[in-house]
Amino acid sequence: MPKKSIRQISFYFILFAVWEALVLLKFWPEYLFPSPFKVFETMAAGFKEASFLFAIGISLKRILIGYGISIVFGGLLGLLMGKSKFISDTVGGLVLSLQTLPSICWLPLALLWFGLNEQAIIFVAIMGALFSITIATYSGVRNVSPLYIKAGKNMGAKNITLFWEVIIPAALPSIIPGLRQGWSFAWRSLLAGELLFANLGLGYLLMMGRELNDMSQVIAVMIMIAAISVLADKFVFGRIEASIRRKWGMGKGI
Amino acid sequence: MVSLQLCNLSKSFTRRDGELPILKNIDLEIKEGEFICIVGPSGCGKTTLLNIIAGLEQATQGEVFHKGTSVKHTSPERLVIFQDLGLFPWLNVQKNVEFGLKLKGVAARERAETALRYLDMVNLIKFRDADIHELSGGMKQRVALARALAMDPEILLMDEPFTALDAQTRDILHDELQRIWSETKKTIVFVTHNVREAVCLGERVIVLSSAPAQIKASFAVNLKRPRQIEDHGLMEIVRQVLSELRFEIEKVLKEEFDAKEVN
Repeated sequence: MPKKSIRQISFYFILFAVWEALVLLKFWPEYLFPSPFKVFETMAAGFKEASFLFAIGISLKRILIGYGISIVFGGLLGLLMGKSKFISDTVGGLVLSLQTLPSICWLPLALLWFGLNEQAIIFVAIMGALFSITIATYSGVRNVSPLYIKAGKNMGAKNITLFWEVIIPAALPSIIPGLRQGWSFAWRSLLAGELLFANLGLGYLLMMGRELNDMSQVIAVMIMIAAISVLADKFVFGRIEASIRRKWGMGKGI
Repeated sequence: MVSLQLCNLSKSFTRRDGELPILKNIDLEIKEGEFICIVGPSGCGKTTLLNIIAGLEQATQGEVFHKGTSVKHTSPERLVIFQDLGLFPWLNVQKNVEFGLKLKGVAARERAETALRYLDMVNLIKFRDADIHELSGGMKQRVALARALAMDPEILLMDEPFTALDAQTRDILHDELQRIWSETKKTIVFVTHNVREAVCLGERVIVLSSAPAQIKASFAVNLKRPRQIEDHGLMEIVRQVLSELRFEIEKVLKEEFDAKEVN
């Protein structure tokens, strides 16, 4: 087994041991600070009666829709800004300032526009990812080496073909980190939205734990939220990034 | 038959402190199948001239005719091999060579066949699946050459392609380029600041002055091929070209000296 995994496994082992020790020492009452075994029990029970799976499914569906829309529109907007100086001078400034706005701030607006429903929550997830994808696409496209563009044009690439066959692949090393960041922003916004109002989904399950005073459920759901985000980051974006770095010969990076 | 005609070409760039002339009244005819080398000191505007022929830049004055048609846009019929090559790092070797064919709409199978044929011609068939960053400088040059040849252009425009290579690799590529030229009979316009390279490769050597570049002289090189850069026969012509460049030589030599210092 590689050294790294040994370290990681022992780290988590120690973490759980300390956690369990603190519980056994009874520093805090059990209902505020449940033992790790209790948390796993809750998690197992939740999966058994499918309520967790259902919540995960709902949240994933929302984020996939929202994130998908963000990629399409963020990507398009970024490309347009890269293509036209007029658009980058005007819309670009607005995008930058909107990006500084925490996306949960869009929730009141979304609630008034769409009502207490799916659209509102998806809208918040979209706003979470949209601008970081836009900005990453824009700067990726802007920084494409003029040599690639010249070579592409010389070989007969024009307009859409030039974009599709040369500019986008050349910009991909900067676009992917933006997509990665966008994913985690969208996930956070979605969860914030679900916590605040939505029905169903992981955020809702988290709030329900609070209302039932069930600390083990709260912690179990928190672990799942983090796990999903880490898995997507590591196995989807991490892999794509690593394969691009390999192809371009950019070294392993981080 | 005349392939390229450059008619009274001038080019200047607009700077904050006024117009900066780069090329001045260049008149030149290039025959079909000719291998012509253009020498001049570094920075004299050779790359700009090549870009104008390619249609990637526009002349301030004058016109380029390719087989009688005025050049307004870039076209795969006048394919450039850039100084920094511009190979695409997101594609492997074979896909790079196929790139232009794909744009032309050639079917996948035929594309692959053509690519492999030209990779074979430049002795790189074993590396067809390699990524660009895995190749040495000389191998990258060969990929660029194969990529250009695969499109079957009428004219190859080569912009100091061998400058960054070590001497042995450059010698090998000189051999290969001469062989490929005699096999394919492409018109080649080869720009370099290296007089010996120019005399070794070209049927004709055009000497440009330092910026703004004008045509100073033209030499025919009627020596049999394949030529090698250290052939004695070349030396006489090299001497003539160099004496013509006299005023410019010092800059050239100084640059080569500096380049050696850096290496």
